[in-house]
Amino acid sequence: MAETLVPAFSRSNDDPAVTRIGGGVAGGKALGLAALEQKVLPAIDHTGLEGISYVIPRAAVIATDVFDAFIKHNNLVSLAQEVAREERSEVADERVRQAFVRASFPPLAVGDLRSLLEFFREPLAIRSSSLLEDALEHPFAGVYGTKMVPNNQGAMDARFRELITALKFVYATTYFAEARAYRHALGGQMPDEKMAVVVQRIAGRRHGERFYPCISGVGRSFNYYATGHAQPEDGVVSLALGLGKTIVDGGASWTYCPAYPKAPPPVNDIGTLLNASQRHFWAVHLGKPPVVDPMQETEYMLQHEVSAAQQDGVLAPLVSTFDAANDRLVPGLRPRGGRVLDFAPLLQFELAPFNEAISRLLRAAERLLGCAVEIEFAYSYEPGSPEEGELSILQARPMRVEEQALTLDDAALEGPGLLVASRAALGNGVRDDIQHVLYLKPDAFDPAHSRAIAAEIATHNRALVEGEHPYLLIGFGRWGSSDPWLGVPVQWSDIGGARAIVETTSGAMNPELSQGSHFFHNMLSFGVLYFSVRHDLDVGVDWSWLDALPALVESKHVRLVRCPRPLSLRVDGRHRLGVIDHG
Amino acid sequence: MSADQSFNPFEMARSQFDKIADLLDLEEGARQFLRTPRREYHFTIPVKMDDGGVRVFQGYRVQHNDARGPGKGGIRFHPQETIDTVRALSMWMTWKTAVVNIPLGGSKGGVICDPHDLSPREQEAICRGFVRQLARDIGPLIDVPAPDVMTNSQHMLWMLDEFEALHGGRYPGLITGKPVGLGGSLGRTEATGYGVVYTIREALKVLGLDPKKTSASVQGFGNVAQFAIDLYQQLGGRVVCVSSWDQSEQTSYTFRRVDGVDLEALRGVTDRFGGIDKKRAKDLGYDVLPGDAWIEQDVDILLPAALENQLNSKTVGKISKQVKIVAEGANGPTTPEADAVLHERGVFNIPDFLANAGGVTCSYFEQVQSNMNYFWEMDEVLSKLDVKMTGAFHDVATLAQRKKLYMRDAAYVIAIDRVASACHDRGWV
Repeated sequence: MAETLVPAFSRSNDDPAVTRIGGGVAGGKALGLAALEQKVLPAIDHTGLEGISYVIPRAAVIATDVFDAFIKHNNLVSLAQEVAREERSEVADERVRQAFVRASFPPLAVGDLRSLLEFFREPLAIRSSSLLEDALEHPFAGVYGTKMVPNNQGAMDARFRELITALKFVYATTYFAEARAYRHALGGQMPDEKMAVVVQRIAGRRHGERFYPCISGVGRSFNYYATGHAQPEDGVVSLALGLGKTIVDGGASWTYCPAYPKAPPPVNDIGTLLNASQRHFWAVHLGKPPVVDPMQETEYMLQHEVSAAQQDGVLAPLVSTFDAANDRLVPGLRPRGGRVLDFAPLLQFELAPFNEAISRLLRAAERLLGCAVEIEFAYSYEPGSPEEGELSILQARPMRVEEQALTLDDAALEGPGLLVASRAALGNGVRDDIQHVLYLKPDAFDPAHSRAIAAEIATHNRALVEGEHPYLLIGFGRWGSSDPWLGVPVQWSDIGGARAIVETTSGAMNPELSQGSHFFHNMLSFGVLYFSVRHDLDVGVDWSWLDALPALVESKHVRLVRCPRPLSLRVDGRHRLGVIDHG
Repeated sequence: MSADQSFNPFEMARSQFDKIADLLDLEEGARQFLRTPRREYHFTIPVKMDDGGVRVFQGYRVQHNDARGPGKGGIRFHPQETIDTVRALSMWMTWKTAVVNIPLGGSKGGVICDPHDLSPREQEAICRGFVRQLARDIGPLIDVPAPDVMTNSQHMLWMLDEFEALHGGRYPGLITGKPVGLGGSLGRTEATGYGVVYTIREALKVLGLDPKKTSASVQGFGNVAQFAIDLYQQLGGRVVCVSSWDQSEQTSYTFRRVDGVDLEALRGVTDRFGGIDKKRAKDLGYDVLPGDAWIEQDVDILLPAALENQLNSKTVGKISKQVKIVAEGANGPTTPEADAVLHERGVFNIPDFLANAGGVTCSYFEQVQSNMNYFWEMDEVLSKLDVKMTGAFHDVATLAQRKKLYMRDAAYVIAIDRVASACHDRGWV
């Protein structure tokens, strides 16, 4: 993608979809989009895709030199460093935000930003695109800020203020505690970070005060975690109703292989499907901001029940309805019965050649860009007309695919000296540099305290990172779940020093374990090995061995131990087998 | 940089107007009306000096045209001020407000004095005396003064205070260029210099030149020049020299550093009127050359940002063949004779009343803010300024290209047509 150029924004309606403001580096996100616009989309065969149009929502990247000038002319580096030394993280973050918002934008960029709003009249997404992210091939999603702004006020001045404040917020997040911890874990230095920011029209349609796409999705052309007949090269797609935040946050989504869109889900139990199905979706809120909280990414967003999409007339193509009389799911929207967002009318009944459009996009992108790719997209249609829609491409980035794979077999999951054995492991390779284990005590674990546990984990993580001790983290339920009853609601920065993670179940916490969410994609990018262990099915975790070790730190719920020897961790990603040996 | 006594700027302004009036085929009545200022005020300002004596200063205010809105124009303190200079400048203000399409007319004022030789108290007395003479004839809805040559925000504040004392109220919209926090606008200080560079940036785009590969020579080192240098350097360009007036020697010098001047370092050896200390500049590694040497440099852009009549029939021949753009930061720096030569050579001209209209545009923003007593952030001010200046530039450049006109002529055509139309629509002519 490096050869792609992003043309300058010219304050004209004739500009290409992806343009650049500023003379510096455009960053990976803009380059990815420009490559799609210039190379991939023109090469896709549209035969049989009538009714679906590929669209790149107009975007402008604010290049890195604007960020540099902003930081330099407002003398913000020293302020951010000073604040970071002196104050607790949340107070420091707020002070940094305020200083950034008060600072002035470089005079050569403000005119373009104002002119941009002549052409961008829909809600806007403002996303970071850092060079560190590009250089390390580590997506920093969720670490640097993102803002969605409604951009729907009548007065240009109001829209301009909203945009510029959002840009400054995204800039400021470079210096927030979470980002600093993240870079520290990478060994990165703060002054080296350079940020481009992509301002892009949000794909979707207005439904009253809600603005959202009918479907958001992430497609990957390579899938290390293929199941059933699917091969890794067949790729994988996750779909959700509404804005992509649901998928990015690791919320409930529908994941399938685009080569087998009609294959049954891995879980055949309808009750589980009903429970695990998406129940809420995100939309940009076009009315009065629900809560004035500029620190929140969701300042101008609202989460709605899925039934709101039914009122808006766009739900029917996305759901199956539970037919209790026959104990089965029926594709489509029925008056009565629970709903599962399995997108069956589109994927199974092929109401629109939606899956074919995604498949062609992924294949073309991989072929023309010369690497496995991950593409975020959105699909929008008018109520009642899912067969005529816009497939909007929001982001495209290269995927990291390991060439060398370790091979394990079932025999490796048994035998003496095993601390953990998993048939659902992610990642690849061997590690033997971990000696510390931070784990939730199985006898004391109580989901009611999972928020407090998250805070405790974060404290230990900071100490372990400062001590430069890579560690193994073991806990119950989905790490990073936003629902404390389904797992410990940590942020990535709270566990960023963990180099191997086990999520297991217990009688008190027994949800479907998480797989393939954006959160875990981040961890895998760091080379973090992941082991999923069901207490009722798998060999499990040797708790007694851990409990026998003397505790370095121990509280009611959490225990930190140091093993006498480094642990031996092995994961065979193709077969999804993983073991940790304390030998 | 010394003023040429034989040069009459008002004659030059009229000659420029006549040429465009012919191009527009303007009827005789409109022509006569626009050739002549609507109102002129000539008055004296007696001041008790610090030494106990009394000096009488001559003041002027000329309101050239207010068909498109209240008059707008600066007040100059200059020892060589003449009524014809003020007349010309007021006429240029009319065209300037029109070319950037802001709802104001054109005025100008001046006092024959040299602030270098006056104490702050004496300058305050001049400011207050000036307003006492004009209190009924200026105002937020009539005529709005601003700082200009050798006047600054302090002078404006004294004038505003006197006006408010006389009228019994608060009228922050009377005057612009006030200090920030006392009715001034953020960005006003930067506006003229930045505005010049916004137009240079667009001209470079038209000519297909990469700013990072260009160089410039600047005449003057006052407010306009300094902020123009600042933004041009942010654009990636290299300024190889600046010139400035030496008050003690009553002549000007050019300060050259081929690798590019260091703005902050030069500011450190500059007095409040933009005079650079010769010795300290030498110590910083600058070549100190004669005052006119800035014209002769091998650069891509000439940026006259001091006084009028600098590119004339005598100096135009010294301009390097490398020069592709003349951006007129000063008012009237190019005489019609020099203009003809530059036009012939294909040098891209950004005429004064377009290039330096950033100042009056931001003054307009200040007046809007003052009148509603609600003030914008810097980002808002500069973004509006950029959009306004860029839009005005392209209006002119597009007309110039479409009608095969010289940029100055195209700018005049747009401006004079707008003013003449306003006069016509009001039923004046």
